Amino acid sequence: MRSSSLVAVALLAAAATTAGVARAQEAPPVLPSAPGFGVERLAPSAPGGGWLVMDQLDLRGPLAGAVDLTLGYASNPLRVGDARLPVVAHQAMLDIGASLSWWRFRVYLNLASPLALYGESGAAGGYDFTGSSVNLGNNPDVISDVRFGVDFRLVGRTGGRFRLGAGAQLYVPTDHKSDYASDGTFRGALRLLAAGDARWLTWAAQLGVHIRPRDDADVPDGPRGSELLFGVAIGGRVPLGRAPWALVLGPELFGATAFRAFFTRAATAFEGLLTARFEGTAGDRAQLRVRLGAGAGLGSFGSPEWRLVAGVELFTHNQR
Amino acid sequence: MSRAAVLLALLVAAAATAPRRARAQAAPPAPHEDVAWDFMNLLAEKGLHDLSNERWNAYGQFTYITSFKLPFAARYTNLNGSVNSLSTDYERSFTGSFTLFFGVRLWRGGEIYFVPEAISLRPLSQLRGLGGSIQNFELQKTGSETPDVYRARLFYRQTFNLGGKRIDLDSNPMQLGTTVSSRRFVFTLGNFTTLDVFDRNNVTGDPRQTFFNMAFMTHASWDFAADARGYSWGAAAEFYWDDWAVRVGRMLPPTEPNTLPIDFRFWKYYSDSYEIEHQHSIRGRRGAVRLLAYYNHVRTGRFADAIAAFEADPGKNAASCTSFNYGSGNFNAPDLCWVRGPNNKWGIGINLEQMVAKDIGLFLRAMYSDGNSEVGAFNSADRSLSFGGVARGWPWRRPFDLVGIGFGLGWISDIHARYLAMGGIDGFVGDGALKQAPEGVFELFYSVNILQAIWIAADYQAIWNPGFNADRAGPVHVLSAKVHAEF
Repeated sequence: MRSSSLVAVALLAAAATTAGVARAQEAPPVLPSAPGFGVERLAPSAPGGGWLVMDQLDLRGPLAGAVDLTLGYASNPLRVGDARLPVVAHQAMLDIGASLSWWRFRVYLNLASPLALYGESGAAGGYDFTGSSVNLGNNPDVISDVRFGVDFRLVGRTGGRFRLGAGAQLYVPTDHKSDYASDGTFRGALRLLAAGDARWLTWAAQLGVHIRPRDDADVPDGPRGSELLFGVAIGGRVPLGRAPWALVLGPELFGATAFRAFFTRAATAFEGLLTARFEGTAGDRAQLRVRLGAGAGLGSFGSPEWRLVAGVELFTHNQR
Repeated sequence: MSRAAVLLALLVAAAATAPRRARAQAAPPAPHEDVAWDFMNLLAEKGLHDLSNERWNAYGQFTYITSFKLPFAARYTNLNGSVNSLSTDYERSFTGSFTLFFGVRLWRGGEIYFVPEAISLRPLSQLRGLGGSIQNFELQKTGSETPDVYRARLFYRQTFNLGGKRIDLDSNPMQLGTTVSSRRFVFTLGNFTTLDVFDRNNVTGDPRQTFFNMAFMTHASWDFAADARGYSWGAAAEFYWDDWAVRVGRMLPPTEPNTLPIDFRFWKYYSDSYEIEHQHSIRGRRGAVRLLAYYNHVRTGRFADAIAAFEADPGKNAASCTSFNYGSGNFNAPDLCWVRGPNNKWGIGINLEQMVAKDIGLFLRAMYSDGNSEVGAFNSADRSLSFGGVARGWPWRRPFDLVGIGFGLGWISDIHARYLAMGGIDGFVGDGALKQAPEGVFELFYSVNILQAIWIAADYQAIWNPGFNADRAGPVHVLSAKVHAEF
């Protein structure tokens, strides 16, 4: 080999080595950022709906209404990746709603505000997650999603063993998905609602479709598009002595699973709540309903380790 | 003819043919008329709702304001890297707001109000350059052209009746229809605005129906605690004794001046307000006198401290700020960022209203603030005066039309002026230099009522010495239009 060739080879080798060193000195590859989404899986029942999540379809009288305020806390509703990184470790929400009903029809509005969302940042599954960090001081007036809804009772009557209804909901995004407080897109839900009462037993159920445009299938524990909604509640109603009050005690089970990963663990949220509610039963006057719930997640996607819910509701019925 | 012209013609025709209602109404624009078309009146007409003894109510409003600022001459704009000059070019600004008002009675005297709101906005010059005469009262220090939805108010109000005459309170937004005593104690707690309780004026009334300029919404120099939207959290107590009322309140300031986050440490930072009010009648025409004082203990910067810091170390200039600041690039100017800390601010003002004819009311507000520290939450004026009149269109048989004329003046303190003259900026003003002068505004508006629930208004404003600077004297001519609907 001639000396010039040797020099050329040496230079090439040096260049290759230098380039390798330069590459080695570059910053580690930047992971794509996980975009975030609305992690809250507890969609409160319509104001006047009775249960915390299910709906007792008690729609009657010419004009009635309800307002409610629901506070909820969820522990670790979103842990992602193999390391179970708690991107949302603590979640406290306030939901305020109002409804008007006319005979068998109801329209309602709910506004949810995150009071606190905290979590940890880190990498998982090839994505960089930024833990949520929302509190009332930094976000004193935030409303996460606005929910408009309409329900109507198709079959059955108040107090009967079987009532069937249907409802539609529209979610208008008003918050940031990066805070894990909203999907950042319009969403909708179409639901079939059923409920009934037989002596002391009361029950309710729902089956529906959550129309969810967000599909982050590549992101660990991200939403995967539209979902099937399901839920059931069964309880016993106990009159409280001679007072116009009753206690309803029983479990509510509810969840959602993405159609594209039907009932797989990674795409299914499933929760149980033990619900107790004290409600007035004094006819035409405005009545108070106090609702308490405690439960745990039974699935993976968006199910908290445990959850506490408390709500107060003021409702009226016309007995006609 | 363009579509806009056709629409305008249709609106004018609709206004001209709108039914003339003969109901006499005092000049102050009541929030909702008894004959107005709204949801609650509709229910009441159907026998489904008792307006005089409400358990709940729900109202709403929509307001769209568009403003056109014409070009004006100025000796300089944003001199030496300062950034708070009003642009001398033609500009358009707008706001669109949509609000729902829900009220529920929990028990005797106990009420909860919830007010979600959405706003879309574009200010003039990024809301810079006007000290106390911002041309549109709806503008916020945050927000964008993309609508923001937020909770404006969520508060609890408890009324304890203590005797005296019975007073009927009409059903209105944030007021359930009920009867109270002329002697009563009212306690308010939660998320609301200071202006919900203090410094009310029945002549200027709801600004969504009257003057466009912020100088007429309240005292321009009252630096009441509020977040960047104008709302806050706190508590207020009101004691009514027939024609007298005394009010005391504590509201929470933002964590940094003019920002959205609120500092909830009410024991550490706060804005206290005190007001005494007397309602009177002169020759059968009602009026009121209100004296207001405020005391802020908030995290702000003092002008003298900023100047001293800069003079001692020119490295502490506006362009080299490392903490919260307003983005000045002026290396030769002091900046408040270097000296922010707990500071006190106080002011005292008077608010007068007087009906002088059946449907004509006059108003005057004047306030003196100490002017030692920067604006924390409202605007840059340290002293202010506004006066004018509002009349209903009763003489020309349009009793729900409104016409108003007003003058507003704002001044800054000498130390504030020295700070601005050195090139400093505060939250809203600072041209890089200053020839101190009062900022003034003249406003004239006419509001046409149509369809019982919609107002369309035209407005003219002339603003002198924007940013308190005679070197940029103007006048700045602003032409505006408004559509306001209530339901």
